[in-house]
Amino acid sequence: MKLLPHWVSRPALVALLAALVVGAVLPKVLGLSVYSQNQVTETFLFVAAALAWNWMGGYLGQVSFGHSAMFGLGGFISARLLLALHLPFWLAWIVGGLVAAAYALVWGHPTLRLRGPYFSIATIGVGEATRLVMTYWEDLTGGSSGLSLPITPGLKSELYWWALALMALVIAASYSLRKSTFGLGLLAIKSDVDAAADVGISPTLMQDIVLLLSGFTVGVCGAFYASYQNFIEPGDMFGFDRSISFVLMAVIGGVGTIIGPALGAVVFVMLRQYLIGSYPQLYLGIYGLLLIVVILFEPLGMMGLFFRIARRFGLMRPEVEATLEAKAAVGGGAADPGARQGGAP
Amino acid sequence: MTVILRAENLSKRFGGLKAVDAVELELNDGEILGVIGPNGAGKTTLFSMIAGSIPPTTGRVLLEGNVISGGSPRRAVRAGVVRTHQIVRPFQNLTVLENVMVGAIYGKARPLGARERALEVLDFCSLRDRAPQLPGGLTLAGRKRLELARALATEPRVLLLDEVIAGVNPAEALHMADLIRSVREKRGLSIILIEHVMPAVMRLSDRVIVLDAGKKIAEGKPQQVVKDSRVIAAYLGESASAAASAQPGPAGSPTPTSGAAPASLPTPPANPTPASIPKKGPGGHQ
Amino acid sequence: MQRFTELVVAAVLLAGLYATMAYGLGLIYGVLRVVNLNHGGIIMAGAYIGWLLHEKFGIDPYLSIPVVVAVSFVLGIAIYRGLVRHLPRGPAGAVQSLLLLFGVWLVLRNAAYLLFTGNDQTIRTEYSTRSLAAFGLAVSVNRVAVFGIAVLTLVVLHLFLTRTFTGKAIRAVAQNADSCTLVGVDVERIYSLTFGIGTALAGLAGLLGASLFSFNPSYGSGDLLKSFVIVVLGGLGSVMGTAVAALILALVEVFAILALPAYLTGAVGFVLLVLVLVLRPGGLFGQRVLG
Ligand SMILES: Nc1ncnc2c1ncn2[C@@H]1O[C@H](COP(=O)(O)OP(=O)(O)OP(=O)(O)O)[C@@H](O)[C@H]1O
Ligand SMILES: [Mg+2]
Repeated sequence: MKLLPHWVSRPALVALLAALVVGAVLPKVLGLSVYSQNQVTETFLFVAAALAWNWMGGYLGQVSFGHSAMFGLGGFISARLLLALHLPFWLAWIVGGLVAAAYALVWGHPTLRLRGPYFSIATIGVGEATRLVMTYWEDLTGGSSGLSLPITPGLKSELYWWALALMALVIAASYSLRKSTFGLGLLAIKSDVDAAADVGISPTLMQDIVLLLSGFTVGVCGAFYASYQNFIEPGDMFGFDRSISFVLMAVIGGVGTIIGPALGAVVFVMLRQYLIGSYPQLYLGIYGLLLIVVILFEPLGMMGLFFRIARRFGLMRPEVEATLEAKAAVGGGAADPGARQGGAP
Repeated sequence: MTVILRAENLSKRFGGLKAVDAVELELNDGEILGVIGPNGAGKTTLFSMIAGSIPPTTGRVLLEGNVISGGSPRRAVRAGVVRTHQIVRPFQNLTVLENVMVGAIYGKARPLGARERALEVLDFCSLRDRAPQLPGGLTLAGRKRLELARALATEPRVLLLDEVIAGVNPAEALHMADLIRSVREKRGLSIILIEHVMPAVMRLSDRVIVLDAGKKIAEGKPQQVVKDSRVIAAYLGESASAAASAQPGPAGSPTPTSGAAPASLPTPPANPTPASIPKKGPGGHQ
Repeated sequence: MQRFTELVVAAVLLAGLYATMAYGLGLIYGVLRVVNLNHGGIIMAGAYIGWLLHEKFGIDPYLSIPVVVAVSFVLGIAIYRGLVRHLPRGPAGAVQSLLLLFGVWLVLRNAAYLLFTGNDQTIRTEYSTRSLAAFGLAVSVNRVAVFGIAVLTLVVLHLFLTRTFTGKAIRAVAQNADSCTLVGVDVERIYSLTFGIGTALAGLAGLLGASLFSFNPSYGSGDLLKSFVIVVLGGLGSVMGTAVAALILALVEVFAILALPAYLTGAVGFVLLVLVLVLRPGGLFGQRVLG
């Protein structure tokens, strides 16, 4: 009897379950302070967000600099629902995520016909336009004075497990999105959108679906973040820094790999904590340097390093390693819009 | 003989350029139709319209009476028409097997058993032992066969092959010619074949049409068409046509060409008939 | 009517500046197929260099044009030689160069913040507030000067690209780099020259912008978007197309002030972009060749 689709490997499932169990007992075993536990909660949250960003940026090769729009929208919608209707918070999150997904589709459907860099620049516009409008839309966001949310310490520690569950779900989704037949179609689109269309794929439909999923998840993360903070304001939720942070987590860990952005998020949260504490004047420039160094020397980030080590020590068959690396490759080989069919090769 | 695919009054304009100009075309069930013409004649553009990659400016394409042009390529693929690309475009980030699986999954939206079907097609195209590799490691001939395999995996009724023989060595060319023939014989497909390699066109095609500057200038049996004065003029320029003996052109072709393309009638590679050469094994790359 | 004419004149004068900065972005894309995401960073740098020369040495911003152009040209070549050149060509490289240049932008922004703080700055000269009167309209001297310099720059650039050997080589590389290599053009040199010209235009636009508007380290991010909208609208490389598109954007922006609350005018460019994409998806990058 087959319970699971063929592409679900047993080791992957076991690893995920083990991680879940470890995550669940960790605070008890280590006797984490409230502060540290909150840090871990936040890390879980950003692991989920970075992975969801990677569905667009890594799986499809459509790098978004505008994901703060969905993060913020999810956050403020659910905050308003919590304040006004006293909904259970998980319900508020889902509604926040749905609104964020719908918003993603509104701007994404037209702009997704742009490939690669053109799409990316359009997303800078999306992020900035959204931030501007939201900062002035006081009825929703409270303007520059923001919104305060009633969070009890008890709820905050309960959110640890919710964050863990959210992260586990998103990891599982990342895995399925890559390994399923749908994921194969996404890789084909990333490699060559026209050739993919010529064998029957509908790139528009598939890209829209991925954007919906990514927007929903990032929206839920924003909603979670909102109910986790005592106070949110549009400058932080919709800020450019926020969008950059998703990009950085994925780039540090390895854009386009399945698990890389999760590692990147862990490193990024710690790094940001340190930088904001020690070099508040410098953190943006250090992000920039990180981007430059990673792209120049190891475009697949930490996963690229891992692949290198695996090759060196023969941990993986070179052939397997090469195919994994090819799937992750930043940007794939999408057809140049200016390219034209020439003469015989 | 039943007509399976029909193109009516098909034209494509790129700005001021008429790349394809009012072309009529019929493909019979089980036929191999050759399309020849000088560089820039509009052959690839014709394919792009038939396969739904670009919408025609005028006209339409029918598969067994149903319109397939003007929509998305997906519509054509679902109906059973699929193309290959003149410049091969494998998915560089997928293995050979996965490349073909994409065709098997999305061609008819049938994910079940895609792997087995893809493997069968790879076998057919003698690429099976390359299945776990990336396409970057294949020779040009191998990548051309992969292009063919990916198209076959969509389970088409009509296959559009854009220069799958040109550019490979003579032994590989014979292998490919064999493969094309067995696609028709064993899989029952109808084929339209763009090709510059004349001997291959002559041997493979049941019928040939000639495009020049977007217009269809001749149509008929291969041996007749190459003797047609308009065709020779198209390939060699006007002066050559005077020397050529004027053969009565077979099908009604609209206008004689003017200002024809420079001489580009490709020289046939010196190779014997395909049958006389033993088929090259799948591993036979240089 | 008076008001209407005033707005149209304002838009035309603004369009010169817009065309200059957009041409810089379009040129680099047209030749190298790389989107210079650091465009905004160079624009910001141009503004600060002009400001610094004015504050420290009392040099008039218009006289510091050669310095700003030279510095941003060299900066561009350094970025190309030191960074962009080492990435793979083609589509994979396109996304990588995007992320890389984005990183450079962040570094430049941070550097400006450390050097000059995050405060808004302006370049104030004695003629900053002076205006010309013509046909019953009062037009700021500065705006007219900026327009004149922008138009002059575009004309010179056009002549350079169409009349000189190097200019023709740039256009040839934009069309087909491989055949240029075959006929002996040093494509690598053309690439770095083009990158330098593109960033020089951005630096110039920054300086010109700084004599009109206040600026801070994040100055230039709006201009990156505007340049992008113009390039999408106007096609690649054609000076005329760029000018018309710049005028359209300037008109839309200027008149949006009448119809929209002030905070929304910043979003106008983006809305225009989406409209273009929906209504005229053909008007994208890569439809026209340089010339
Ligand atoms: N997307 C396009 N935009 C503008 N012009 C195009 C486009 N595609 C093709 N053309 C032009 O249309 C004409 C026909 O091109 P096409 O590729 O169909 O010729 P072809 O017969 O396949 O040539 P070849 O034998 O070299 O493959 C050429 O002049 C070509 O430059
Ligand atoms: Mg062709």
